[in-house]
Amino acid sequence: MAFSFRTLSLHAGNFQDRYSGTRSGWWAWFLQRLTGVALVGYLFLHIAVISTARAGADTFDTVLIILQKPFFVVLDLFLIAAVLYHALNGVRVLLFDAGIAIKRQALLFWICMLLTIVITGVAGYFSLPLIFRG
Amino acid sequence: MSAPLTSQQQKAVAGFWPWFLQRVSGFLLIFLVGVHIWMTHFSGLGDVVRGHQEELVLFEIVKQRLAQGLFIFIDFSLLALVLYHGLNGMRNILLEWGPAARHAAGMTAGLWLLGIGTFIYGAWALLAFIL
Repeated sequence: MAFSFRTLSLHAGNFQDRYSGTRSGWWAWFLQRLTGVALVGYLFLHIAVISTARAGADTFDTVLIILQKPFFVVLDLFLIAAVLYHALNGVRVLLFDAGIAIKRQALLFWICMLLTIVITGVAGYFSLPLIFRG
Repeated sequence: MSAPLTSQQQKAVAGFWPWFLQRVSGFLLIFLVGVHIWMTHFSGLGDVVRGHQEELVLFEIVKQRLAQGLFIFIDFSLLALVLYHGLNGMRNILLEWGPAARHAAGMTAGLWLLGIGTFIYGAWALLAFIL
């Protein structure tokens, strides 16, 4: 291993971007990790839920009817927000890898945040009948 | 105060191929996850709201969708790519933690084992709708 423990624990601090003078780059990085870890956790739960199909169609439907109750529809909106942020910031990172817009990283971070909020809002609006159905 | 890793540093820590495949799998997942969420959450929403359908996701609905080759391809690709992307992401995080970084080879092997095991389990679950 060419990297020692010291150089590997690089992210202990909050980091100020030299172009924007803000900490948005650090937050973009932190939120990418937070949503990434959360999505991995969700992935294993998701696979476990789908595997109830092995116990038969009735078992699967019983579980899925519970998981489509209003409380879980609201949780799904948080899931959508996490997926959207992770995907949008992933595109932001891909642009930097291609050498594009590195100096505008702060602006791109806020665009990611805005799009995450707007698209989650639209998804939430269309999910309202599921949240308030009797 | 320290900075997030630059692209060059990430490649050096993770290795070129894991770094490169994380980007390829991430790019593909944008479309696969997009289709997945659209099909499961939104394409049937109108029918549920109008009362033509009980729920968005039920065994029969998933079974009908997975009767089409395209969705079999999408779901198995999704399972494989999301496991690679997720566990490779965990590896990137763990490589910055001393105890894991000192046993990088063993940790990587462990994550591959977990990934392959979960793929087999997930594929077995999906086949309940197909076979």
